[in-house]
Amino acid sequence: MSRRKDDAASPSGNDQQTGSGTADDPKAAGGLEKKAGVSRRRFLAGTAGLFGMITVSSCSWDEFFQQNFRRMTREEIDQTLARLQAQYKAKYGKDFVVGAEGPIDGTLFGYALDIQRCIGCRRCVYACVEENNQSRDPQIQYIRVLRFRDGNMDFEESDLYYDPDRVPQEGYYYLPVQCQHCENAPCTKVCPVQATWKEPDGIVVVDYNWCIGCRYCMAACPYMGRWFNWADPVIPAEELNTRTHYLGNRPRFRNIVEKCTFCIQRVRKGRYPACVEVCPVGARKFGNLLDPASEVSRILRDKRVFRLKEELNTQPKFYYFFGL
Amino acid sequence: MTGNKRTRAGANALLLAVALAAWAAGSGAESLSPSPGPATSAAEGGEDFPVPFNPLPKTITPCRACHGPEKDFKINWTREEALRVHTNIRLHHGGVRVWCLDCHSAEKRNYLLPLSDGKPITFEHSYELCGKCHGTKYRDWRNGIHGKRTGYWNGPKTYHLCTQCHNPHRPRFRPIKPKPPPKRPRSPVEASTKH
Repeated sequence: MSRRKDDAASPSGNDQQTGSGTADDPKAAGGLEKKAGVSRRRFLAGTAGLFGMITVSSCSWDEFFQQNFRRMTREEIDQTLARLQAQYKAKYGKDFVVGAEGPIDGTLFGYALDIQRCIGCRRCVYACVEENNQSRDPQIQYIRVLRFRDGNMDFEESDLYYDPDRVPQEGYYYLPVQCQHCENAPCTKVCPVQATWKEPDGIVVVDYNWCIGCRYCMAACPYMGRWFNWADPVIPAEELNTRTHYLGNRPRFRNIVEKCTFCIQRVRKGRYPACVEVCPVGARKFGNLLDPASEVSRILRDKRVFRLKEELNTQPKFYYFFGL
Repeated sequence: MTGNKRTRAGANALLLAVALAAWAAGSGAESLSPSPGPATSAAEGGEDFPVPFNPLPKTITPCRACHGPEKDFKINWTREEALRVHTNIRLHHGGVRVWCLDCHSAEKRNYLLPLSDGKPITFEHSYELCGKCHGTKYRDWRNGIHGKRTGYWNGPKTYHLCTQCHNPHRPRFRPIKPKPPPKRPRSPVEASTKH
């Protein structure tokens, strides 16, 4: 603190000293020499250590020097996918399909959820966990189903841990919350390494290998839509979903952030997300916002819709609607 | 057309033993697609969509096996609480004013009541009859807003018909058991006692 103050206070004095003082002053000269010596030694030791770390650790040379997904060439992507498949085969003993399908032209994905239909049964939560290879312990669930008293919309008073014998209960309604896939996503802006971004079809994704685990995005997200792997994910081998996507449900690891990707491995192939397909009351709707005939577009046209925290100008593409 | 139907009805009366075949053929005659599996129905509006084949339980079909001319059951036009052999049915649809014969055809028991065009509705196309009363729901269902679809958002979809989610005799959903809630995060107190 005081040094900075000195530097700031007398910049001209320092400049003068460098001319006359350093060469003559033995203390200063010694310091400089010592610093240079240590830094060379440190450099060599550091380099050796780095090589050693890469060789000894499970992280391969290719993996260590892997580029950000968006800067990879097609060739590099193919190599990465092949490497990951081999890696998963060795780790889990299963043949994984790791895809990297790009966005389909002319699509902007949107989601609509009928809060008058939702009965809070949490089928979507567990379908999502299974589809997206989420850690069972520590537990990661992309969907939170909140229970509100009728007439109340205060999130502070909602209940995430409700556990009655039967749902729906009289006097309550349910509001599932997951990543809202904002058009103006605050989480992508705060990432210091640009490991998370919005794809051209509107899906907010994470490059798990580029993520440094700083969790700025989690702090920035107003919907609590992101999850951090505090420990190595634990998934029973027989429950692993082997149809994966690089930016989606491929197995993750410790110290990175993950989130809902609208089941990118499914929707980029034209299929509905897992939560849509499992919903027993048909409350979940998914489609292309740019297609006027899609279910989501029709809902936006015909029904009363709202989005969460609109005042934040995050512009979510996740709409809640009243089906009645 | 009517002659064809009459002969079919006659054939059914003759071949009562072959109950299963009669159901398949009886429904197939109307839907133009006798094969089981996803049939294609050209609903009004020109939109084709796949309709999953959802046969009724074989124990109760074909209805004409009992409600045929040879048995000559008396037709009950008024509401009656005891549903005789149909003990599994508890009618809870639209209060007390809806009765079996508001949907089921009294004369042609293998069919549902016709719309204004006079054509009997098969059980496969029951949604047309549902739409008669539930017009706004029917419109929403056709637009994909009400009900459930699976398959491809940009391609072939499987439509869930009204009766696949709602029991037509008791349309309101019954409450179900929810899946377990998420684990609560450990509080600092718990965490300190565990270590």
